[in-house]
Amino acid sequence: MRRYLLAATAVLLASSVAMARAETTLTVGMAAADVGQLDPDRATTTQDLPVVSWIFNGLVRFRPGSASLEALEPDLAQSWEKSADGLTWTFHLRHGVKFHGTWGEMTSEDVVYSLQRAADPARSAFAGDYAAVAAFEAVDPYTVRIVLKQPVAALLGLVANYHGGNIVSKKAVEAEGADFRVKPVGTGPFAFSEYRSNESVTLVANTAYFRGAPKIDKVIYRFIPADAARDLAFASGELDIVYGRQDERWVERFSKQADAVVDIVRPAELSLLHINEAQKPLDDIRVRQAIAYAVNRPQMIAFKGARTSVPAVSVVPAGYVGTDEQATLYPHDVAKAKALLAEAGYPNGVTIKVIQTSLPAMLSTVQILQSQLKEAGITLDLNVVDHQSFHAEIRKDLSGLVYYSAARFPVADIYLQQFFNSRATVGTPTAITNFSHCAVADKEINAAAIEPDEAKQKALWKTAQQKIITDVCAVPLYEQLQVWAHNKRVDYGYKFEGALQLGPLLTEATTRK
Amino acid sequence: MIRFIIKRMLMAIPILWAVLTTVFMLVRVVPGDPTIIILGDQASQAARDQLRQQLGLNESILAQYGDFLMQILHGDLGRSLTTNRPILHEVAAVLPFTIELTIASLIVGTLIGVPLGVLAAERRDGFADWFARIFSLVGVSFPAFVSAILLLIGFAIQLRWFPVISSPRDNSILEHLRALVLPSINLGLLMVAYVTRVTRSGMLKALGEDYIRTARSKGLPHRLVVWRHAFRNVLVPVVTVVGLYLGVLIGNAVLTEIVFNRPGLGKLIVTALNQRDYTLLQGLMVVTAFAIVLANMLTDITYGLVDPRVKTS
Repeated sequence: MRRYLLAATAVLLASSVAMARAETTLTVGMAAADVGQLDPDRATTTQDLPVVSWIFNGLVRFRPGSASLEALEPDLAQSWEKSADGLTWTFHLRHGVKFHGTWGEMTSEDVVYSLQRAADPARSAFAGDYAAVAAFEAVDPYTVRIVLKQPVAALLGLVANYHGGNIVSKKAVEAEGADFRVKPVGTGPFAFSEYRSNESVTLVANTAYFRGAPKIDKVIYRFIPADAARDLAFASGELDIVYGRQDERWVERFSKQADAVVDIVRPAELSLLHINEAQKPLDDIRVRQAIAYAVNRPQMIAFKGARTSVPAVSVVPAGYVGTDEQATLYPHDVAKAKALLAEAGYPNGVTIKVIQTSLPAMLSTVQILQSQLKEAGITLDLNVVDHQSFHAEIRKDLSGLVYYSAARFPVADIYLQQFFNSRATVGTPTAITNFSHCAVADKEINAAAIEPDEAKQKALWKTAQQKIITDVCAVPLYEQLQVWAHNKRVDYGYKFEGALQLGPLLTEATTRK
Repeated sequence: MIRFIIKRMLMAIPILWAVLTTVFMLVRVVPGDPTIIILGDQASQAARDQLRQQLGLNESILAQYGDFLMQILHGDLGRSLTTNRPILHEVAAVLPFTIELTIASLIVGTLIGVPLGVLAAERRDGFADWFARIFSLVGVSFPAFVSAILLLIGFAIQLRWFPVISSPRDNSILEHLRALVLPSINLGLLMVAYVTRVTRSGMLKALGEDYIRTARSKGLPHRLVVWRHAFRNVLVPVVTVVGLYLGVLIGNAVLTEIVFNRPGLGKLIVTALNQRDYTLLQGLMVVTAFAIVLANMLTDITYGLVDPRVKTS
């Protein structure tokens, strides 16, 4: 009798579970107050990129769970070939791929439009990445040709499901105009459904997705800026996936939660200390070398946590195409630092004015730096301002040292161009983020960008990095990995080890029990 | 009464103008650049300059100020710099939630604060009085974000009575009210503290008056003496505190909205400030200033209702 009762209960339970499963909603909590941009050609922030990656496809894609250029696989393009000189690339598109809603079939017209848009500085933040492209051509509705002015390192990366490589619907962009940034239309597993400012973005399954209908029906991407509130909402089960904190104690605490899985993934953000060579006394290389010798990387890792951070290897993040993983860095040597300062005419030490953000994680790093440099007689006079003021003031060339942390497209070229090419020096019209006024490696950076031979190109990048390190345009500090957590009931459908989009890719195979 | 309202409305104009001008100038004095938010940190200076031009940020401050005032006179708050959506639309989308939270907290604050204050005055130096005084002291000095997290840990995580994310949409009315409970208690507690103190001191004074002794010696029941004779005299200061608190609540709603993840004016203001969304920030300040002026006016009208000696004409 008891057995029957049990069986009956089990049946009842199973059927009620089946009924409750009528719609599966996945809720993701993000550490931001609001979305910035959902237009893939404008989206650059940590809170925007994951959503964009669920809505759009590229011609090729990073294998889900990987941030490596070695792991590219077909996406909207089924196959491709390149000419012998590497200057002409031909992509054969999948047939019958539909854009979300009623925006019709994706054809070469959309691909050409998307890539031209990505290469246009007026409409895209990534136009610089496409500088070497001569033309994007639609050969027929299912064939696209890309003609280059010179060979490009990792061209496939530029047509991958990342930044400008995301394919948008031409008709939708033209019809929506400025609204496209909050009403994106792509071909991905999830379609945009609703945006509520300061609250959430809701996506629904694209049942016509070319890899098959997703198993999740709805994704709610919630903006929860308060750390404690986000953690509590995950603990109460209201969030399935949560953006973590790059903080050892957080990782430890979450690892102990019974239903939580912590994901520590690539890409890492490289923290560099840029030294403003245009300011006194930093124009003296001996002072800059003294700073480099005073920095204690192992101590910094010990503070930041060994699970979420690794020591920096160069002025370009580890693992990028062209990173010099064996670059010679200045070792920690306080006596040497003091001697160099004395030699430069500062036996009593120097004081350097530094503008610094009040963002806690960044501020704490600079406070460690402050105490390390103090030992060598270098005093940092910190002017702590809010994060937006920090961004504005460092671009006005107002700070002696700039502590900056960033991840870029995993090719050395982008990092070197933006941070160390003199063309990108702050205060000039072509400025990007060269805070140090670094100009020692222009020749190698520019030559590498157009070097057709891969081995020679890598050699040029290697020389560039060593020159930058030796001249102390910047001191490499550490690399910080991305931290996420998901509830055990969520199965991504792949091993989550990295994502250039800075968050887990949700695919047709992702499930929630 | 109508004349009173019109007069108050006219008086509000210079106040609003002063607030607007201050806000307009302040947000532009604070360093920061909305184009970094809009274009991201990989955009070149040239691209950012072009956008500044497009957004009209390169015009002189005076020209921008003139445009801004003209726009306001036309009843148009403009469009958000970062999302390009009409500001009126953004405000309308969150205003009901702010109003709802403010009213719910006022109710919580008054329903707990007034009886507690009366009780404390009645039993002066007794247990109830000590309790009320300590409670209100803690209430005044407790930061809203700490009490919010304590409430969440207790009632949402341990007891699971309420949700952590108090997003009030998509839900049935019951769910909606359930999500409102913790935020309004959190915000209301702050007010309880003040209302209790004002009620208590007002009641102490009133209870010591001659007419109370007269009422007592007539043999009137204790409850009648306290509530009809003494308490009515405390209404004016209580209404003043509640009215003042409308403004304070709108300001304090920021922290409550952020921790409980509710949409609202306060949260929108913080986002606008962090993104240097000048136009949105200005628009929100207009709305907030207007709400406070309106709250003060309502308070003044209420004086006339609770105390016939106050004339509004």
